[in-house]
Amino acid sequence: MSERDADTGLPRVLGCESCGLVSQAATIDERGFLQQCPRCGQVLRETKPFALQRTWACVVAAAVLYVPANALPVMVTTSAFQHDEHTLLGGIHELWLDGSWSLAAIVFIASIAVPMLKIGALGLLAWTVRHRPRWRRLERARLYRLVETVGHWSMLDVYVVVLLAATVRFGPLASVGAGLGLISFTAVVVLTMFATWSFDPRLIWRDAPADGRAA
Amino acid sequence: MAEPPDDSPPPASPAVAAADDALPQPRIVRARRWNVSLVWLVPAVAIAIAASMLVRSVFLTGPRIEIEFKSADGVEAGKTEVRYKEVVIGKVVGVALRDDRERVVVIVQLDQSAARFAVEDTTFWVVKPRIGTGGVSGLGTLLSGAYIGTDAGVSTRSRSEFVGLEQPPLVLRGEPGSIYVLRATDLGSLDVGSPVFYRRTQVGRVVGYTLDADRDELTLKVFIEAPYPKLVTTNSRFWNASGIDLTLNAGGLSVNTQTLVSILAGGVAFETPPDGTRATPAPENSVFPLFNDRRSALAPPDGSALPVRMSFDQSVRGLVPGAAIDLLGVEIGRVRTVALDYDAKRKRFPVEVVADIFPMRLGPVRSALLRDVHGAGDTAVLQQLVANGLRAQLRTGNLLTGQLYVALDFIPGPTRTATIDDDGSVRMPTAPGTLSELQPQIAEIVQKVSKIPFDDIGRDLRSTLASASKAINQLSPEAQKALAEVQRTLQRTQATLESLERNVADPSAPVQRNLEEALLELQRTSRALRLLSDYLQQHPEALLRGKPADAPVPQR
Repeated sequence: MSERDADTGLPRVLGCESCGLVSQAATIDERGFLQQCPRCGQVLRETKPFALQRTWACVVAAAVLYVPANALPVMVTTSAFQHDEHTLLGGIHELWLDGSWSLAAIVFIASIAVPMLKIGALGLLAWTVRHRPRWRRLERARLYRLVETVGHWSMLDVYVVVLLAATVRFGPLASVGAGLGLISFTAVVVLTMFATWSFDPRLIWRDAPADGRAA
Repeated sequence: MAEPPDDSPPPASPAVAAADDALPQPRIVRARRWNVSLVWLVPAVAIAIAASMLVRSVFLTGPRIEIEFKSADGVEAGKTEVRYKEVVIGKVVGVALRDDRERVVVIVQLDQSAARFAVEDTTFWVVKPRIGTGGVSGLGTLLSGAYIGTDAGVSTRSRSEFVGLEQPPLVLRGEPGSIYVLRATDLGSLDVGSPVFYRRTQVGRVVGYTLDADRDELTLKVFIEAPYPKLVTTNSRFWNASGIDLTLNAGGLSVNTQTLVSILAGGVAFETPPDGTRATPAPENSVFPLFNDRRSALAPPDGSALPVRMSFDQSVRGLVPGAAIDLLGVEIGRVRTVALDYDAKRKRFPVEVVADIFPMRLGPVRSALLRDVHGAGDTAVLQQLVANGLRAQLRTGNLLTGQLYVALDFIPGPTRTATIDDDGSVRMPTAPGTLSELQPQIAEIVQKVSKIPFDDIGRDLRSTLASASKAINQLSPEAQKALAEVQRTLQRTQATLESLERNVADPSAPVQRNLEEALLELQRTSRALRLLSDYLQQHPEALLRGKPADAPVPQR
């Protein structure tokens, strides 16, 4: 049952993510079988299942929804006699014109730049795993960690609009509602988070030597 | 959440390699089947949703049209809405100037549902807040700014460039009702939107007015909403119902108004006189005169005017054009002009007054009079009346303001005839006014008064007074002495009177007491005398014999 890695010559082992027990990796020829941690029963995998497929699916879906998120109104404000729809870029433009450059920059980074960056970064990570496996592994690993850290902050806009919609309810005088764009935008953020989560950084290091810098 | 890849994969560790054979073996269990392709449902759904959203928003965007206006006052790109019956059907997305800088082009993005508005006969106009007659309109625009109003066209030919109206249209398309034309001399407080009342109920509104420069008249257009046009008959009378009509007469004070709105903002009312039983509904665009008030509106029509000329040899101060011509208290006409004339023969300035008499105002009397002259016409009637002694006379209508009116009255005097001038007007003989008769008499009195030699009288009076004052001055030292004497005398008199009172008037004064005693004495004396006389009567002999000795009492 003992196996050794073809490249490094080291024994193939699996770490349990749940209890930390390291066990010998088995070779299963037959499909439809899984390895379980002998101590806690956690399923042991060398990499996350279908990591690339799932990442790709989420990235593509996020990229697709990114278009309506920007094109459609995110927030719908209705005052006594005015019905206004605000898109993300329109809001940033208004802030910029009003002179709130810092606020415009924050909203731009949180709502436009970060989702775009995440989609691009995840796409790059997923593509390089298959096509450029040896290219700048260390930087790619860092990029992944960055994407994962930054991920939650894009929900800023969603929070703002949801809070406004919940608080600004003055009947016919004024009300704020979420537009279709907000749903798309939320979907984009959630999908990029799923993509980050489903991507397995171990894929970057497949067949890599022990020294990351030398890879 | 994925665990951070903080290190290279575990097999790279030499420590793990050393413990190779001692490691426990994992169990082999059956895996659940996973459909690989399922995960691709996520992007598929995303694509479907995104596509549907985009398609929807694309389909929701209707045609883009351009509307030309004179000015883009109140129109703002991205803000101003286009509304039809207060429903938003589009939004202004841009405002630009025409190349010739004469006009403004407003670019409007219509909603998909409003695509049918982009047809040839649709009209657009800018709605701004108006505080006008009949209420405040477009109040919403105070807060939201102006918006572009629309009247939907019915054409099927689409169009994308329009010329906007500068004023809202009078009546929206398809609004049931009829338009009538009113001719007025004065707009009063009427305005577009002023209500039209029938029995104090609003049945329509003023939709526009124009000043007809050729006819020097105002033409108002009123819109009567369905089903009320049937109330407008050929006999209907329209009047300006603005304000309050106060009438003070023998019956008391009566106040006649329309609704509060019309008091404040003006309005038009109409009514059909009750005699108009055969009245037929007036066709649309019928022309009616607009009267100033209800009374004149419902008064019988004046008919044609009979011009009359009158020449007065007196001042006509207080007689103005429009003053009444009055026949025995009934107003039958109006003064048209008052002008000076020159009589070269007499070297005088008679005042020529031209007036209109409306024979129709005589009512049924007129037909009787016409029968009298065998239908020769109103002029003949007037001539006959003049022959019977009818004269024009100026009378004071109001003593405070000195307003005059022309009274037609039968005044005894030499018979005169009414001639007819070249222009067909009847020359009416006049009689001096009551006031003008009085004037020469007053002048005579004044003349007589002025003849009194007030100067001489005054001079004489002054000299008399002067001498009198001199005499008084001379008299004065002796008078003062005399006065002092008088004063002394008076003092003494007072002292005397006081002592007199003390000695006489007081009940305890000696004089009083003495007097009382004297009186008592007198009483006793008189009693004694009576006794004596009684005794003498019974015993007259006692005079000679003296009184006999008293008889003993028990003798009887």
